[in-house]
Formats: sequence, structure tokens, C-alpha cells
Amino acid sequence: MQKRLQTPKPLSAIQSYGLAVLAVSAAIGGALTLENYNFRGVEFPVFLFAIVITVWYARMEAAILALVLAALGFNYFFTEPLHTFYITRSEVPYYFVFILFASVLTWFTAVRRRIERDLLESRDKLEREVAERTQQASLLDLTHDSIFVRGMDDVITFWNRGAEELYGWRAEDVVGKITTHRLLRTVFPAPLEDVDAELLSTGRWDGEVEHTKADGSRVVVASRWSLRRDEQGQAVAILETNNDITERNRREHEIRTLNEELGKRAAELEAINKELEAFAYSISHDLRAPLRHMVGFTELLKKNAASQLDDRSQRYVTIILESAKRMGNLIDDLLAFSRIGRAETHKTTLSLQQLVEEALTEAEQDTRGRNIVWRVGTLPAWYGDRSMLRLALVNLVSNAVKFTRTRPQAEIEIACVDQTQDQIVVFIRDNGVGFDMKYVNKLFGVFQRLHTPETFEGTGIGLATVQRIVHRHGGRVWAEGLVDKGATFFFSLSKPQESNL
Amino acid sequence: MSTLGRILIVEDDPNDVELTLTALDEYKLANEVVVTRDGEEALDYLYCRGNFKTRSSDNPAVLLLDLKLPKRDGLEVLQEIKSDEKLKMIPVVVLTSSHEEKDVVASYRLGVNAYVVKPVDFHEFVNAVKELGMFWALINESPPGSLKKN
Repeated sequence: MQKRLQTPKPLSAIQSYGLAVLAVSAAIGGALTLENYNFRGVEFPVFLFAIVITVWYARMEAAILALVLAALGFNYFFTEPLHTFYITRSEVPYYFVFILFASVLTWFTAVRRRIERDLLESRDKLEREVAERTQQASLLDLTHDSIFVRGMDDVITFWNRGAEELYGWRAEDVVGKITTHRLLRTVFPAPLEDVDAELLSTGRWDGEVEHTKADGSRVVVASRWSLRRDEQGQAVAILETNNDITERNRREHEIRTLNEELGKRAAELEAINKELEAFAYSISHDLRAPLRHMVGFTELLKKNAASQLDDRSQRYVTIILESAKRMGNLIDDLLAFSRIGRAETHKTTLSLQQLVEEALTEAEQDTRGRNIVWRVGTLPAWYGDRSMLRLALVNLVSNAVKFTRTRPQAEIEIACVDQTQDQIVVFIRDNGVGFDMKYVNKLFGVFQRLHTPETFEGTGIGLATVQRIVHRHGGRVWAEGLVDKGATFFFSLSKPQESNL
Repeated sequence: MSTLGRILIVEDDPNDVELTLTALDEYKLANEVVVTRDGEEALDYLYCRGNFKTRSSDNPAVLLLDLKLPKRDGLEVLQEIKSDEKLKMIPVVVLTSSHEEKDVVASYRLGVNAYVVKPVDFHEFVNAVKELGMFWALINESPPGSLKKN
């Protein structure tokens, strides 16, 4: 390995002059000693050597001092007459040649020295710059973004680790060897001429492009290009930063698909809803008419043929009328129930307290002559569809009234148990006949009944209606009960978002 | 008192026609009742065309209109009547099986004078028809141009 030249540290003034004095003294001593051993004429190269050493290692001023000292020493010790500063005529050319040689040598050495110093400095400076750039480039390796630089001929000149990781080629495989568009088989969103035109006019371009990786798979990247110009304003390179957005695009696509699916489902639901509406409409019109005719003509039969009918037939006629009436009620209830599912809710701020009062007023007809102790707690103002919530409360109150009918003193309590910012729970408790918790799941089903019509009348739609109304308010309804020990019905109502109000 | 206006019934179901007529008959309100069986026929009657070319041109005192009708349904008939200068004054009562809110709303939008749902219970039905007949054919002062019978 070549030994590395270090830029020498410049000597201080004292060191330099010292070196000059020392080198010349050593030269004088050395030459005199050699002369004692009868080596004639050695003083000439010895002095030159001393001067060269000084010029090489010390500063110019010291070199001149060495030159002067050497000239004096040479004159004093080695030119006739010896040990004087006089010089014989015959020695003058010899002395002159010495001075000339020494001067030229000093000058050459100094120049040589300066050139070398400059070279070394340039080299060091270059090395520092290279080191700095390498460090900067390695900083680019730290980022996850894939970054590469390409010349105006599109040949890759820099390729960071992000690019290696994303595309699967190593920097040494691609830098200076291939053009990016060929390597990556870039698919642009616009004609390449347009892209280049934009880059050249604005200095940057960004867009989504498709690249091919080393393994042949495709990757979609968000690509940002910046144009680098030299001092003359000539475009010299393009820096490209690419982020893999395949995953993001895939997710977006997924979301879009899901949204479409959702839209389709919503449309389907709407169609089903429309069908249901048409169905309910048809029931409302077409099912009631024959029923009305049955009732009407049976009534007419009863009236016209009363005298001809025996007791049993009279009873049959009564049963027909009662059944038809019951069916009429069922149809009405079912339609009302389906209307609650279909109708739009009009949610406003309302007083639950007032709704309960109204429900109690409505129940008055059934409570006449009954001994009922009402305990109504304080209920807050809340949000909801007034007529729907009123209907729910009417149903719950009338249920409580109905199922406490067998009690000498009925006790019915209505209160709010659990109120938070976003939700309240209201309950209605009675001391009526209650129910077996075994059947709790049947309570809220349409036309599900836990009692025979003889003991307690009803179609079995009331609690189903309550449940539907509560569900439409984002709430939940549940019940607790014990046979003969009363029942408690709870429902929760959540506060709608401001925007849904 | 006791001037009976003519009642025009628009009803496709013969059973309903019979029950309505029976109810009107019970209270002797049916001496001047015309029955048409679909929307087209009802309009023919009102415009004195088709089978009714030769009838006297007086308007009925009231029109009892079913909604579900063959050919042209009740709402179409109602719309036509209420948008015709000569017919719009005729009181129209929708008498139908349907509680449907959209029918009620649509009828009132078109300017119906009353909306009555036929009760399933016969006694209630008879009562309703009786009251209607009483009110519109007897108590209510009909607009000018209606046939009055003394």
C-alpha cells in the first residue's frame, strides 16, 4: 500500500530559523570533518543539502537565512584565503557558481514545496467534501422513502437504501448502468412529454405512477420529482422520491367497494321497505273489506233471521261477529306496528314527565273504579319522537293497569333510574300478576302472549310496539318479573348526536 | 229542512255498495242515490257523457268516493273534480278502508271535504254512513247548481 502523504505542519518562526542555523552549522561541521579525512570538494553538495532541507521543512525566510549563512560559511571556511570573508580572484567563479546553484535550488525547492502543499491541501479538502457528501447520502439512506437521482439522460446516478428495499435492486447494480424508465417500466398517468414539460417549466412534478420491482410485481407509488439546475441554470439532474401507496390504494379500493356494497344494500333495503309499504297498504285496503262484509252481512242475517235461528245458531252468529272483530283489531294493530317501523321519526326535545301525565290521562278509562296507587318520579326532558314515545308509555301504562286488575290495591311506579349525559333508563313497575322469567324473551314478540284471552284481553302487539319504538330511539328494552309478584319494564333512550336532532 | 240532495257513490265492491245502500235505506236517506262502479264511470256521470249523456245536468249534493277503484282510482277522480271549475264545488267525501297516512294527506292536498274510514263493525259502519248522509244530503247547504228534492 502506498504510504499516504500527510500535509506537514508548518514550523514556527523560531523552529524555522533554528533549523536554518542548525542545518548550515551541521553542513559546516560535516564538511570540515570530511576535509580532515582528505575528502576535498564535499562542501559544495553538503551546503546545498543543508539549504534544501531548510527550504523543504522551514519557511521561505528561514531558507533565505540558510542561503545567506551558507554563503558566508562557504566563504569563510572553504574559499581562499581561508578563515576570512575575503575571496581571491581565482575563487570568485567557484563561489559564484555555489551562490547560483544554491539560489536556483532554493527557488525550485520552494516552488516544488508550494505545489505539493497546494496539492495536499486540495486533496484534503476534496476528501472532506467527499466525506461530507457520503454522510449526506447515507442520511438519505435513513429515510424509508425511496429516493433516487437520475441525470437528464435518465441514467440513475444515486439510489438510496429505500429504493433498494422498495424495488429490490442494489445501488451498485443500477447506478450509472441503466435508465429508470427502462428499469422500472414506469407507467405514467399522463404522456411522458407532458410530465417532462411540467418538470422543466415548474421545476417539479408529482403524481401516481406504476413501477415494476425486481421480482416482477407491480407497485403504485406517489412520485415527487424535483429538477436540479447548475449555476448556469442548466437542468442537470432529477431527484425522485417515491412512496409505496399500493397498500393505501388497495385500502381505498376496499373502502370504495365496501361503500358500493353498502349503497347496494341500502338500495335493497329501501326496495324491501317499499315492498313492505305496498304490502301494508294492500293489507290495509284489501284485508279489511271482506272482513267488513262478513260483519255487515252477519249483522243483517242476525237482524233479518233472528226469529228463525235457535239459540245455538244465535251463538254461532255471535262467535262469527266476535272473531271478525278480533281479526279487525289484529289487522289494525299490525298495521300500526308496521307504520312505526316505517314512519320517519321526528325527534325534538320533549318532557318525559308530560308524556307520562298524558299516558295516565289516556289510561283513565281503564282505571275508573280501580284502586291504584301511582308513584311517578321526576323525569327529565329528553330527545325523541313525541308521538312514538307517548305511544310507548301509553302501552306500558295500560299493560301495568291491565295486569294489576286482580289486585285489591294496585301499585304502579314510573321513574327514571339511571341518567347519564348520553342515556337514561326509565322503568315502570307494577305489583300485578308478573311473569315467569322463563318466558322473558317472548314478551316483546309480535302477537306473543303469556295469558289466555279469557284472563287478559289483548292482541299481543303492545310490547312489540314499545320495543320497536325504543329501538328506533337507539335504546333497549328489557323486563324483570316473578309470577304473582309483579313486573318491571325498563327502557333506555340514548341522546342522539346533535346532527340527528 | 227535508230537502234531500242526490248522493253519488263511487264504489267497485258490490258488497260495500249493498251495505252502504242498506245503511242509507235504514234512515230513509237513499231515495236519490246514484252508484258508479269505477273512476271512469264516475267522471262520465259528472261530465254527463257516455251512459249519462241524457241525465239532467245538476251536480250531486255529495260524492262518496272509494280510493281503490278500477281504471281510474279515487285520487285521480278527486284531482279531476277539484281542478274543474264546474265540478270543484261538489263536496267530496273519501269513504275507504284505508287508514294510510299518505292517502289521507294526498286526499286533503287535493281538496277533499272529508275523509272517513269505513269501520269494520257494522253498527259503526251504519252509523258513519247515516251521519254522512244526514250531514251532506240533508243538513249541509249544498253549493248552487246541485239538484234539490223537496
